[in-house]
Amino acid sequence: MTNRNLRALACGAARLTVAAAFLAAATPALAQARTSPIGIRGFADAGSTRFAATRSFEAVLGTASGPVFGGGGEVLLPRGIFVSLRGARFRDTGQRVFVSGGQTYPLGIPTLVTVRPLELTAGYRLNRPGWRVIPYAGGGTGWHKYTESSDFADPSENVSLTATGYHVLGGAEFPILGWLAGAVEAQWSRVPDGLGADANGVSAAFGESDMGGTTLRVKVVLGR
Amino acid sequence: MPIARRAPRWRLPLAGLLCFLLSPAVDRLVVGAQQSTGATTPLWELVNDVSAPGIDRGLRDLDPPSPPGRARAARVELRPGDGASYVGGSLVVRFRPGTTTVTQRALLALVEGGSAGSPAYANFEIVTVPAATDVEAAAARLSAQPDVEYAQPRYRIEPRFVPNDPLYPQQWNFPAIDMERAWEINRGASPAITVAVLDSGVAYRGGIIRVATRAFTVNGAPFPSLGTIDVPVAAAPDLGGADRFVAPRNFIWGNDLPLDFDGHGTHVAGTIGQATDNGVGVAGMAGNVRIMPLKVISSDWDLIFGSDTVGTDDLVAQGIRYAVDNGAKVLNMSIGRGGPASPVLRDALQYATSRGAFVAVAAGNDFLNGNPTNRPADVAPEIDGVVSVGAVDRNRTRARYSNTGSYVEVAAPGGDQVRGGVPAGILQQTYDFDFVDTYLSGPANYRAPRFDVFTYQYFQGTSMAAPHVAGFAALLMQQGITSPAAVEAAMKRYATDLGAAGRDDEYGYGLINPRAALRGMGLAR
Repeated sequence: MTNRNLRALACGAARLTVAAAFLAAATPALAQARTSPIGIRGFADAGSTRFAATRSFEAVLGTASGPVFGGGGEVLLPRGIFVSLRGARFRDTGQRVFVSGGQTYPLGIPTLVTVRPLELTAGYRLNRPGWRVIPYAGGGTGWHKYTESSDFADPSENVSLTATGYHVLGGAEFPILGWLAGAVEAQWSRVPDGLGADANGVSAAFGESDMGGTTLRVKVVLGR
Repeated sequence: MPIARRAPRWRLPLAGLLCFLLSPAVDRLVVGAQQSTGATTPLWELVNDVSAPGIDRGLRDLDPPSPPGRARAARVELRPGDGASYVGGSLVVRFRPGTTTVTQRALLALVEGGSAGSPAYANFEIVTVPAATDVEAAAARLSAQPDVEYAQPRYRIEPRFVPNDPLYPQQWNFPAIDMERAWEINRGASPAITVAVLDSGVAYRGGIIRVATRAFTVNGAPFPSLGTIDVPVAAAPDLGGADRFVAPRNFIWGNDLPLDFDGHGTHVAGTIGQATDNGVGVAGMAGNVRIMPLKVISSDWDLIFGSDTVGTDDLVAQGIRYAVDNGAKVLNMSIGRGGPASPVLRDALQYATSRGAFVAVAAGNDFLNGNPTNRPADVAPEIDGVVSVGAVDRNRTRARYSNTGSYVEVAAPGGDQVRGGVPAGILQQTYDFDFVDTYLSGPANYRAPRFDVFTYQYFQGTSMAAPHVAGFAALLMQQGITSPAAVEAAMKRYATDLGAAGRDDEYGYGLINPRAALRGMGLAR
């Protein structure tokens, strides 16, 4: 991949979010060129995920989207390369349902659904002197722990499984202080066969097996 | 016909085209009257709105008590047969005070265990062991160590609703379909759900009726008219108060007093909605629903009292339409007949489901009599929201009498007293037949009946199976499955497969499983 390609990719990622540009323009500090060959940083993020298994999540939780909170650490390597490890959690309460003839009947039995991805990402940061934002993009793999528990369930009837998936992401980081930065990030993940294995799940009834989705989030980054 | 009988006694058949018996009727009551085409002119009248409460004479035909540990529905167990379920992969352990950490580790190593720490409000530790470990054996091994005060599996303790009705232990039929756990989810629906009982009537109110009786013969023996008599009637004590009953209608007599002169409808109504957990008598599937008593078939006493109207297809069809038009969400039809198909009943059943009502129909008791197709159960597979119900015994085997065929859709407890004796039937409250079948002791002992004395009796038949399904439907509707077609789909989907794998002609889709259906689906499971 040439520098021109990378630049185009990074610019595309930056265009993903109007907010990124706005925040970048509002940032008084100039982007800092890296002087140290390796940097270690921590971050926390908050955002919203829209799950690919739209009908299933809507049937049980009433919505296919919900807040996700996460955090992790990343290592900045020479030549703009970074590696990050991020954990996050989505958690929502819905109710069990019955699906028949394309119709969903809520049954009023509370159900707690939790999705906890642990994601390993590698990518490239386009960190040029004088730029007010640092576009970046990457991809990687994730381990998505899914739990589902409901009232009146025997322990064997609750769900706890882990599925492996992959993801790509892009975003824009805007330095605030020397050790503090903000970022806006978009991620698309796919977790094939994460759902739909059990015939008694609405995901099976709807033929939806992907536990992944699309996430937009903002990050606060600490470290140099 | 009402598709049930109490086995130890024989009775005359309920009159009319819609009557058939578990045992062939040998005796025939003859009054010499012609079948009329409509409701008869009332020959009896309610002369007193009030009477003494019904007399509850307790359990009739009391057999030796069931042995301890009587049959119960299968529970989820990690180790079948040990009588208790536990969480695998971990133990509860308490070390004796002063046991060092090193010693504790060494002891836990005996079972490849590791301490997960002591939870809050606990003087013990949770110890993790490999998932494949036999935790009872591991606990026993640790318990044998001198430094261990105790070790035990993490036995599960479940909430369980067991009705406090004193005769509930005699009702094997409810544990057989896991109702105790189903009631944990839905404790008997609510008065918002009305279940119509299309039957011989229901003992739903008290009073005294004055009636002119007719002479008749039984096997040629003449029974004289008793003249005009006053007959006490009463509400079945365990069915609950007057507010439980809505829109009663008598299609045999053409009035609003569907009094039960037989006992069949009262028994059926009990299985659907007997007052439950009230400390009295027995339990019912959906103890909070309202009951709509509809009399669409007649009994011997209706004939003796002067009715020339018997249950017919058209009368039952009227009853179906009346029920739906008056708010019934579930209809129970523990009735049926052989013979040709019935377009008028098919039409009425389609009307019922189109108006959002679910219908449970008994599949019939004539397997041993040539297994003729039973009407209107035969149309059930063609109409989403109408379910034909076969019967199983307490061993969850098809009852010997229960019809088989492509129209059997699900099975429910109906009992089989040949295999299991009297207690193998379905226990509910109905009349004490010593006070009803007064013509069975011959003309010399023939006297006026009383419909205000009640006992708890075991009946068997698909008549008893169908109300389990009707009550089940009421629970599902209360839970949120409001479409009759979806109610049927849920029943079939969660039925416990019996007999040949998949749907078969003996059990249909299997034995109803209310608990599983009420729980429904999660996102992943």
